[in-house]
Amino acid sequence: MIRSPIARDALIAVAAILVLAVLPLVFPGQAFSDFVIRLSAFAIFATSLNLLIGYGGMVSFGHGLFYGLGAYSFALLLQKGGISVPAAFALTVTIGGAVAAVIGAICIRLKEIYFSFLTLAFQMLLYSLIIAWTPLTGGDQGLTGGVPRPPFLGIRLDDPQHLYLFCCVVLVVSLFLMRHIVESPFGYTLRMVRDNPRRVGFLGVQAWRIRLLAFVVAGIFGSIGGTLMSLYVSSAYPDFAYWTISGEGVFMILLGGIGVFLGPLVGATLLLLLSDTVTRLTEYFGLVLGVVILCFALGLRKGLLGFALDAWAKRGGAGRSAPRPAVTAGKD
Amino acid sequence: MLRVEQLRKSFGGVSAMNGVSLHFEQGSLSAIIGPNGAGKTTFFNLITGAFRPDAGRILLAGEDIAGLAAPAIVRRGMARAFQIATIFPTLTVRQAILGAVNAHQQWHAKLARRFPLNEAQSRADQVMELVALTSRASTLSGSLSHGDQKLLDIALALALEPQVLLLDEPTAGMGPEERWQMIETVHQLWERRKMTLIFIEHDMDIVFRYAQTVHVLSYGSVLSAGTPDEIRRDPKVIEAYLGAHFEGQPA
Amino acid sequence: MDFEALLSCFSSPSCVITQTTGGLISGMLLFLVAAGLSLIFGTLKVVNFMHGSLYMLGAYFAYTVYALSGNYALAVAGAALGVGLFALIFERLLMSRVYGSDVLLQLLVCYGVILILDDAVKIIWGAQFLSMGMPPAFQRPPLFIAGGVLPVFYLFLIVITLLVAAGLGFLIAGTRIGKIVRAAAINPTMTSALGINTAVVFGGVFALGGLLAGLAGALAVPVRSLVSGMGFSILIESFIVTVIGGMGSVAGALVGALLIGLVRSFGTIGFPLFTDGLMFLFMTAVLIVRPSGLFGKEG
Repeated sequence: MIRSPIARDALIAVAAILVLAVLPLVFPGQAFSDFVIRLSAFAIFATSLNLLIGYGGMVSFGHGLFYGLGAYSFALLLQKGGISVPAAFALTVTIGGAVAAVIGAICIRLKEIYFSFLTLAFQMLLYSLIIAWTPLTGGDQGLTGGVPRPPFLGIRLDDPQHLYLFCCVVLVVSLFLMRHIVESPFGYTLRMVRDNPRRVGFLGVQAWRIRLLAFVVAGIFGSIGGTLMSLYVSSAYPDFAYWTISGEGVFMILLGGIGVFLGPLVGATLLLLLSDTVTRLTEYFGLVLGVVILCFALGLRKGLLGFALDAWAKRGGAGRSAPRPAVTAGKD
Repeated sequence: MLRVEQLRKSFGGVSAMNGVSLHFEQGSLSAIIGPNGAGKTTFFNLITGAFRPDAGRILLAGEDIAGLAAPAIVRRGMARAFQIATIFPTLTVRQAILGAVNAHQQWHAKLARRFPLNEAQSRADQVMELVALTSRASTLSGSLSHGDQKLLDIALALALEPQVLLLDEPTAGMGPEERWQMIETVHQLWERRKMTLIFIEHDMDIVFRYAQTVHVLSYGSVLSAGTPDEIRRDPKVIEAYLGAHFEGQPA
Repeated sequence: MDFEALLSCFSSPSCVITQTTGGLISGMLLFLVAAGLSLIFGTLKVVNFMHGSLYMLGAYFAYTVYALSGNYALAVAGAALGVGLFALIFERLLMSRVYGSDVLLQLLVCYGVILILDDAVKIIWGAQFLSMGMPPAFQRPPLFIAGGVLPVFYLFLIVITLLVAAGLGFLIAGTRIGKIVRAAAINPTMTSALGINTAVVFGGVFALGGLLAGLAGALAVPVRSLVSGMGFSILIESFIVTVIGGMGSVAGALVGALLIGLVRSFGTIGFPLFTDGLMFLFMTAVLIVRPSGLFGKEG
């Protein structure tokens, strides 16, 4: 069939966009397209986090920083800067990358749990900044005044259909790009750094550079997730930078399967479905989610997609590189 | 090719290396032997940049590399394999070797193309063949047998096309037959690639059969150096090992 | 930012005293929570991400016992013991299953419990802020030192915490139990092989950590308001404290907690809205200079 993996993935991407474009005809109504828009924001965020956790072995607790940063930067640039949507997008991505470079350079020096803490600390620092800087950010009320969307290339993002398509395209393109990065030589070097950072040094590779690059890439895509969310709510809320975003990201990854590229997408879908269903039935979503998480963490550990793929592999699939050693039950 | 002068290292007050001076000719096949704790692996760690020496010079092709970090030393043509095979469990054999080839060619940070790169494939295939792992190319490294993991470890070092190759107890943990196979493979590698090869070994039969030069370390100092015959008759070495007849020490 | 207000406070002894005492009790409460967190990490090599919820439970338990009995001492004792028991049950039932696992699983287990407890508190006590007020025993005029205020309750809190700190120090360094705990921390297999039931040790340490957190919650009730989710901010501060002080070090937790308490106290004057941010900046600075914390050990 198609020999080149890039071409094959591109074909899948185009097909996905077409399918998504057609789905609202099957599921008419605001609820469906709202779901997909929210999903696109979370899926990009969770997949970008998996770059760090699954492929890089870098457990960041503070990835939500980029989600919030992306949302606020994008919204503020449009609101106060009065620039075009593509320009705001490009600038937001640049800001995300720059912040990631600085924070990454500081955090990467630390090991394991200290790395995790410091990333969380930076996220909460941003959160505090957002809450404190009321004149700019609206403080704990969130950004007021809406997000203007000047038309560009004939696309009017205040039209729900345009917004839906825009988010679908951004989702698919982002996943395509992240997939490409993960399957590039860099992606495999990253896996090597994850598996054995010491050995990698003896191959002539400076592990910190690889990690920093991964951190920047993840930060960029995390910010993109935030921009979609800010478009959806026409604003930006401090919640977008709260630690729970990071926690949910981790859960989405584990839910869908840490060892699979599309795992976070599946996990995001499941979590959103769960959230939407439960919030309709009770105001105590936290309780239900908590129980689900516990059942999951103590029982099903590889994630739905992970399990499915393992079952498939046992039926005779060829050895494929697992993005991460499976989350194991214990050292014995 | 590799000349070490007065290498010293202490760890928290305990002296691990006391002014060791050794010399390895280009293209030679040398062994480093010595009782446990003599400092053999420490020696490797110091010359490969895992630890920074307290004093002394390490001249690789005339350049003093003492104090450089491991990646920089690797880039200058010295590679090593480890006593306990240290590999990348989630990658297949082929992927791991490709990764090493990428690292050697500075392709490891490429983002624009897909892995594996065509240019890297033939090189990786060559290396796999050299260590006879081609039949296991698609096996996950973590699932390999102990002996195969050691071969992979060596393969990773070979992929770097080193001028100096260090093998730390390549036959450790193997049964008698496997051991001879391994050292035969290593010997053939050395003949084909014409590199400077230094190996640490406990099995004296192997050492005397294959090494051109033998260096003896004891308590962080050089006890003796010379051809296998000279070493065999050296009274200091005999005293250190208690007995004229060297039995291969089981790993 | 209000540098002027900060400078004028520094030049006024009464302000300095008042802010210092406020900072001290924040620090003391923080120490109790952070000490438990640090102990658990030092012994079990596990970060108890739900430790803040134990503090929250302690506060709510104390509130209820006081409301029912009118006796604050009983409330404090009841809360500490109750939370200690809860922590033991949590450890045996849930946490012990993920000891050897990835930190992600441990995080998830704790995250799940936090969510459950936050909602459980809302269901049982309601979502609104609760206040207990000062127990009659402490409704006395405050002490005045150089014009600054030291409420009697603050003095009580400081003394109690220092006693607990001394007791902890003695327990760990001086007693046989302490030695066993330290041994189990360093080498659980060997300790177990010597006939010591590591499950009991681990459960005990977790229970002790819970007791300390519950105690902190109970002591906080007269001076703080209660709300669901109040555990999170003290958890973050405890993280900061244990990281600054060095994971596993109780002395480090004390120093770190006092520093953070004071930073917060004086910080609210100079940086009223950005106080949290200040703490993170402080922690970042410490981590950059000493990646293992002030008293920490490598690795």
